[in-house]
Amino acid sequence: MLDFESLTSSVSTEKLTLNESVFEQINKQIANQLNTGIMVLDSEFNIVVWNRFLQIHTDKVSVDILGKSIFHAFPELPERWLIRKLASVLQLNTPTFCSWEQRHHLFELPHTRPITTDSEFMAQNCTFLPIEDDSQQKFICILIEDVTDVCHYQSQLQKTLDELATMSRIDGLTQIYNRRHWQESLKQEFAKAHRHDKKLSLIMLDLDYFKLLNDNYGHQCGDMVLIEVSALISALLRVEDIFGRYGGEEFAIVLPETNLMGAIELAERICRKVAATSLVYNNERLEVTISLGVAQLSSYESSYEALITHADSALYQAKAKGRNQVCSAKCDETSILD
Amino acid sequence: MSPSVLICDDSNMARKQVLKSLPEQWKTSVQTATNGAEALTILRDNSVEVLFLDLTMPGIDGIGVLQGIQKLKLDCSVFVISADIQPEMQAKVKALGAKEFIRKPVKADTLINHLQQHGLL
Amino acid sequence: MNKFHLTEDQQDCLQELINVAMGQASDQLARYLDTFVYLKVPSIESVDAKELLQSLSQQKNTMAIVSQGFFGYEGIRGEALLAYQEEDSGRISDLLGYEPGELSKDEQLIDISSILTTTFLNVFATQIDNQMSYNAPKLLPSVQNSLSEHLQQMTFNWDLALKVNINYQVTDYSFNCNMILLIPETAIVNIKNVLDRILAEF
Repeated sequence: MLDFESLTSSVSTEKLTLNESVFEQINKQIANQLNTGIMVLDSEFNIVVWNRFLQIHTDKVSVDILGKSIFHAFPELPERWLIRKLASVLQLNTPTFCSWEQRHHLFELPHTRPITTDSEFMAQNCTFLPIEDDSQQKFICILIEDVTDVCHYQSQLQKTLDELATMSRIDGLTQIYNRRHWQESLKQEFAKAHRHDKKLSLIMLDLDYFKLLNDNYGHQCGDMVLIEVSALISALLRVEDIFGRYGGEEFAIVLPETNLMGAIELAERICRKVAATSLVYNNERLEVTISLGVAQLSSYESSYEALITHADSALYQAKAKGRNQVCSAKCDETSILD
Repeated sequence: MSPSVLICDDSNMARKQVLKSLPEQWKTSVQTATNGAEALTILRDNSVEVLFLDLTMPGIDGIGVLQGIQKLKLDCSVFVISADIQPEMQAKVKALGAKEFIRKPVKADTLINHLQQHGLL
Repeated sequence: MNKFHLTEDQQDCLQELINVAMGQASDQLARYLDTFVYLKVPSIESVDAKELLQSLSQQKNTMAIVSQGFFGYEGIRGEALLAYQEEDSGRISDLLGYEPGELSKDEQLIDISSILTTTFLNVFATQIDNQMSYNAPKLLPSVQNSLSEHLQQMTFNWDLALKVNINYQVTDYSFNCNMILLIPETAIVNIKNVLDRILAEF
């Protein structure tokens, strides 16, 4: 229990004043117990005060710190940017801040959290406050708050949210886009192509005799084939092409800025590659082929669904003409392989 | 003998602040205007010797009043009392003939000092 | 200003206090930026929560909003929102005296908002014999939902807001920003007391 009488030097009718030395002790203890760094700079940016937190967390000693320029003591600091910031505190007599969300840290202090984080250094929120001494000389007080936990958990949260978003876009089995996301992408590319008068083509493709494969070899084999063929096709595509799983054994590729010729050429390459690649299941060699339908966006298609329909009917034609081939929406000729 | 005084400011409180800071004997012959147009009308129709003028007013602002005074070649000591204290603004009003620039909120002793300096007291 | 139930005298007093604060803040800003700031009379209106959200969401251009909490003695506290049009936010680093690329776009907005808010509120506080402390400024995501979430999650109940329309025009640059001071009702009571104290001096 505090003896209040001894703390106060005078009890006037108006206010109580704390004994000066008590004040000093309280301040000293607080300043050194805090889990926050306290540093005071003079108007030339030399360090005049630093507290225990900083003494512990830096590998530096007072004699190398006190009286020295903050930039000599901490060479990692972005000098020009920080000078401007400190100048604003002095000139405007207002506080300024730097949060970990803008710059992860200013001072390179190793963090001491019992968790592995993305950075070896402590994440910091810094506050810069204008203060004056008794003779009205100006100083800057820098508060350095350790927010490593906050930063860590925030980025974990963000990663989880990102994964969640990705999961809802990806087909679990083949790891390419699911139908919903693929269709959204087509919608966007369609709108873009219309707006900027750009070319756009579409390939719809389908595994030949897939049902038979499943019946003969089982669903696990079917799954393996879907995974392998997806991977094969992905490797042949450009970064801007959008590849998705449209149905059980049906896939689709959006080709931005591509005309019919280019799309057909790509489709034929894909067709040949799949036909030429042997897959192995239970020590048996499997020959898998696909049929492809190609269509290019023209003034006839008033919606992206219409484009799908045209590519789909070209696919149907390819099937009707014997499979393992490419057919385009304006199919006069087909390319028959082997 | 108190001169005729005009206080021009759109803020009632600001006008009261100036009034309060005036020397006692001046307080009896004070007119007020709430905007630049009103001020110019009063200036034109009466011989106002001392004008305390705000700058930021809607419509004709303080600069407008100063220009009006120059155009009408009125003989009037203008003291600008304003919240906009930037050096450029201070220079501008002096160039337009204002005797002094006083920053808000105005204090009695500051005002009286200025009046004495310009021989009005 | 009827929603605050301020008397005409109180309104006038508040407007004058804000004018003086704006004048001094602009001067400080001008010196710091080494330029001249054109000052217009800031207009003040009171808005309620729904109106505020509506008017902010009706903005056609994307906006950036920086929010900063402030607190002083006698229960005078609140949150300052600074809203910018997207096109204005591009020139700010130049204005602040940084090299291009030295400062991210977000940082630029946050820095200048903090300067505008704190210089203005500091002067305002001095005039009412008060002193302000501030939270670190935060850039709010510009999506509408996030804004209303933020406004709902604030630690005090505010029903009324004081919207101070400030137009900052700096030579060679002109950018507009609206400062909206969100003040809880308890603080408004305290502000009224202060205004009455000042009015009593006349």
